[in-house]
Amino acid sequence: MSDSLWNIQCVWKRYYVAFLKSLPYYLLTTFLEPIFYLLAFGIGVGTLVGNIHTQGRILSYRSFVFSGIIAQTLLFQGFFEGGFGGFVRMYYQKIFQAIAITPVTLSEVLWGELLWDATKATVAAEVVGMIGVIAGHFYLESLITLIPVCFLGGMLFSAMGLASAGYSRTIDELSYPQYLLVFPMFLFCGVFYPIGNLPRILQYIAWIFPLTAVNSLVRTLTLGLPFQFMAMGIMLAWTVIFVWIARYSMIQRLVK
Amino acid sequence: MSQSPLTVIHLSKHYQNKKKSLIVEAVSDISFQVYSGECFGLLGPNGAGKSTSIQCITGFFPPTSGQVLIEGYDVHRQPRQARTRLGVCNQEETLDTDFNVIDQLILHASYYRIAKREAYQRSQKLLEQFGLMQYIQANVETLSGGMKRRLQVARALVSNPSVLVLDEPTTGLDPDVRRMLWDVLVAARQKGVAILLSTHYMEEAQRLCDRIAILHLGKILDIDSPDRLISKHIIREMVEEEVRPGVIWKRKPNLEDVYLKLTGSRLGIEGL
Ligand SMILES: Nc1ncnc2c1ncn2[C@@H]1O[C@H](COP(=O)(O)OP(=O)(O)O)[C@@H](O)[C@H]1O
Ligand SMILES: [Mg+2]
Repeated sequence: MSDSLWNIQCVWKRYYVAFLKSLPYYLLTTFLEPIFYLLAFGIGVGTLVGNIHTQGRILSYRSFVFSGIIAQTLLFQGFFEGGFGGFVRMYYQKIFQAIAITPVTLSEVLWGELLWDATKATVAAEVVGMIGVIAGHFYLESLITLIPVCFLGGMLFSAMGLASAGYSRTIDELSYPQYLLVFPMFLFCGVFYPIGNLPRILQYIAWIFPLTAVNSLVRTLTLGLPFQFMAMGIMLAWTVIFVWIARYSMIQRLVK
Repeated sequence: MSQSPLTVIHLSKHYQNKKKSLIVEAVSDISFQVYSGECFGLLGPNGAGKSTSIQCITGFFPPTSGQVLIEGYDVHRQPRQARTRLGVCNQEETLDTDFNVIDQLILHASYYRIAKREAYQRSQKLLEQFGLMQYIQANVETLSGGMKRRLQVARALVSNPSVLVLDEPTTGLDPDVRRMLWDVLVAARQKGVAILLSTHYMEEAQRLCDRIAILHLGKILDIDSPDRLISKHIIREMVEEEVRPGVIWKRKPNLEDVYLKLTGSRLGIEGL
């Protein structure tokens, strides 16, 4: 068991070192993108919309959207790293195959991949949170309680990406989950407006998708909105399911 | 009985399609041992089952039946222990393009828990040996095909393996690079490494390997030293082959003749 953990951290470290090697590129893709969303929606749209009502509370739209962008950052960072990054590593670079003939097994490689993707998504989301703290929307302490939720959420969306990579024959096929899953979640799962504004039937549908649950938990922790128990259950369930599918699809694909 | 570092026992591998209706018997019941300081060749044309065998031997594919032991450990059941002493160079290019030449080797060594300082020293030695010293900091993607292959073989050696497995390491290489790789393999063999090498070059097998298994449609037709394979299966001193209409070559028999004879495809060579 401890051997396995050591191997997994060894893989995690490979990603970390690769990250440091191309830091300028990653700074751009990891941190600048969420900051653009913050500027466009927080500052831009936030000036048009003053206060909003949600879950029996009144709060500024800017605070609302800032915490929404934390969840959205987990979605985009996780999905794109696990999906497109994972596909490149599996198909073009064949990194999984290269490591899985050393004492490190394929199963450990995949855990390392998912844990790294989740780490990276967490760091990006926490940077957004930090900007929110500086802008006076959240308390600094909330960033600490946020870490486990960000990590699990990051893991969920990375696994969604890696599972998509496992089932895509070409890198272009990743557009299907991108347009059928990621963008609808981005638009309809409560990042930009409370889903209570949607017709009831759409609300039920929105709750099926994991971003709604992640959004709810992030808002509880950052803005003090009432805790919705089902959000916890939904997030945990989807995390387990997607991690399982991601690992299953990759192993099925690589090991004949 | 002296223990061999690599033992393959009744290994079979069948591929199934999704519906499990079509089964390809890629490898059927092969057994052999590779001893320390021996270079063992798996010789066969494309599709003979070389890569399939090697994927099972490295523990990446589970075998349909049979067993592979590396230093006494079952590679499928105890991959971590078994692969500690194994170095592999796959047929495909699997270099980690996010890392430059030297970091590539140090990174690979880290999967074997080799400390960075030690890995750096070993890597430098290997790069010297492989004539890659001037590319020590180069981006892997800027290397030529021959240099990448050399790097990939060097990477397989960075963990000081006692068993080295190479899948068609010289296919598609220029003659000078091929010779350099041969020299490296001979040096590793001299140091006591057990080498398993697959190739479809008869000449390479004949030159490099102490023993050869002739693989045809997933089955081993015979295992022996190149000389004995030839003397066992070819009775005549000389064979005659019509290379062009009206032009007949008389030459000593070689492994290719043995292969053609064993597989029953004579193709107009007299004397087999
Ligand atoms: N993933 C696979 N699924 C089904 N058949 C395969 C697969 N890989 C290889 N084969 C078949 O198995 C046989 C042996 O292939 P391979 O081991 O790649 O041979 P070699 O390396 O000697 O060229 C071939 O008939 C090949 O078509
Ligand atoms: Mg092959």
